[in-house]
Amino acid sequence: MRVAKLFRKTMFGIFLLFGLIALSTSALCVYTVDKQLSQEYEANSRAIAQTIANSSMDIILNRDMSTLQSLIDQFKEIQGIKYLYIVDENGDILAHTFVPGIPKEILAGDRVKLATVDRRIPGFGEFVEVSSPILDGIAGSVHVGMDKGLIALKIQTAIGRQVYLISIIFIVSIVGSFLLVNLAAKPLGRLGGYAMQLAAPAAPATISPAEVQALLERSDEVGQLARLIRHLSAHDASTGTTV
Amino acid sequence: MRIALLGLCPAVVLSSMFLGAGVSAQPATGAQVPEGVTDSQIVVGMSAPFKGASRSLGIELYRGSMAYLSEVNRAGGVHGRTIALKAYDDGYQPDQAIRNTLKLMLEDRVFLLFDYVGTPTVTRVLPLLKKYDKLHFRLFFPFTGAQPQREPPYDRLAVNLRASYRQETAGLVDNFLAIGRTRIAVFYQADAYGRSGWVGVREALAQHNLKIAGEATYTRGTKYTESLDRQVAMLQEARPDAIVSVGAYAACAAFIRDARKAGLAVPIANVSFVGSESMLELLVAASKADGRNYTGNLVNSQVVPSYENPNVPVVKEYLALMDTYHPSTPPGLADADYKPLRHSFVSLEGFLNAKLLVEVLKRMGPHPVRTQIEPTVAGIDGFELGMGRPITFAGQRNQGSDAIYYTTVEDGRFVPIRDWKAWSK
Repeated sequence: MRVAKLFRKTMFGIFLLFGLIALSTSALCVYTVDKQLSQEYEANSRAIAQTIANSSMDIILNRDMSTLQSLIDQFKEIQGIKYLYIVDENGDILAHTFVPGIPKEILAGDRVKLATVDRRIPGFGEFVEVSSPILDGIAGSVHVGMDKGLIALKIQTAIGRQVYLISIIFIVSIVGSFLLVNLAAKPLGRLGGYAMQLAAPAAPATISPAEVQALLERSDEVGQLARLIRHLSAHDASTGTTV
Repeated sequence: MRIALLGLCPAVVLSSMFLGAGVSAQPATGAQVPEGVTDSQIVVGMSAPFKGASRSLGIELYRGSMAYLSEVNRAGGVHGRTIALKAYDDGYQPDQAIRNTLKLMLEDRVFLLFDYVGTPTVTRVLPLLKKYDKLHFRLFFPFTGAQPQREPPYDRLAVNLRASYRQETAGLVDNFLAIGRTRIAVFYQADAYGRSGWVGVREALAQHNLKIAGEATYTRGTKYTESLDRQVAMLQEARPDAIVSVGAYAACAAFIRDARKAGLAVPIANVSFVGSESMLELLVAASKADGRNYTGNLVNSQVVPSYENPNVPVVKEYLALMDTYHPSTPPGLADADYKPLRHSFVSLEGFLNAKLLVEVLKRMGPHPVRTQIEPTVAGIDGFELGMGRPITFAGQRNQGSDAIYYTTVEDGRFVPIRDWKAWSK
């Protein structure tokens, strides 16, 4: 099927417009979801660390590490929490959830310092680690690692859904504009054929008499133009000039 | 948390089958008779893994207990009441253990809890016993050497027979240090059980101003078919002189297999919970399949005497009753493909648990009530269970035995270690 030039231009415009919408909304989505999720996970992790720190004082002082382990194992089930570990006041790890073992990055780091840190552990992932002191730090601290990969996954999911929606709207728009442009382009094409027929009667006709009749009977601008062309053509024929 | 009490698959094992007594645990008439005790029966409740990677532990513990209870019931029971063991599978999962315990306490209304398996499960059940303290439920002889049920605030709620993991691991560490193996690494299950063993090793080494040389963990439920190469690599880097392994048989056997394949030939010691025979069975099969020996340089600490030694009175009794009754797996709970072990350290422990339970019930007299449990247990002082070492709970002890036995593998079976110098560095 021959695509009308008019439609090609319209499609190009729609494509540009949708591209712009997709890019700008995706960027906004990444920024918003990333910021909100990061803040939410960080706040949750901090609350969890604080809860464990508050509830583990007696356990640590009683040297009951298996109960301490049970405690942190329960929190590891929470989505987004990738690891937890508890250190004593010297930074020695008392309990943790790492399998197959404590990563070197954590063993090598400063485990006494209380700060929110970004960690990249090869083969394990990227994390934001928050910590909370136990008994103001004199009994150690609790560290909770939040999985940044999960945030990335949520962003990907959100963007994926958005792109999916925009794609559907884009396809509907293309189909819709094709139909609408075709509505305008077809009569114009016939009008052109009619004009050519009048200009060169000897040439093979591209438009049937019925179509010419329908064209001339139209009440819109195309019909007016057809009637004007017919009038000019008749006038030229009577005066001996050409259109 | 929503507690789902539906969908559980109970197995009421009625030892009263020998007597033809009814299975109902309806309270008997008379205000003095508590739940769990009828005119003809005392029901005790058990939650343990009967399926999954640790099923052998629950099944064999159950079978050992049933061997003794069957004999007691055949002889008329305790003060005319047979003892029924109502068991549920928890798959070695803490949440399921909690659900099972709630069901046993509040729906089945058993007299007491008995033969629970595992640290992660028991440590989660203890707060439940605390919550229902007014009902006076007590947990008898859990199959774990962890500390929580040995120390406040839960020490009152559980009665332990076996030695603790601290004692087992301290013994292993001391013996390794004595033969010059000072770089001790730990391979352990990433949960409360593994942590309990890890602490034992850590504290035993600290006594000698030493630290753990290296450590690696695995996830509970790891199957024998899985690779533990990453754990092996981590421990190889630590260049240990010996490794203390605190896990269940499937993962520990896989670790030993992969360690030996990787050339890590140092002694590997497992604690009693591992399920020695099940671990050995896997290693023997792997040795045959791979044409290598995976059973060398192994040490297993045990909390019961060797079942290979019939000179120990209770072992003789155990061997006889296991062969007489051939206790079945818990009906409806165990997988059909499970092949019961003829004898094992775990079933021997179950046997000892049942024997001591019966002694406690006997001492409680013809009208047992839960409030009597504590003073009755506290009255046990120097009781001879047949191990050759008297059992004592008097003096506010909540652990009857401190005995630890060390074994190694020779000719495909566990034998007592007579001389640790064989492993000298």
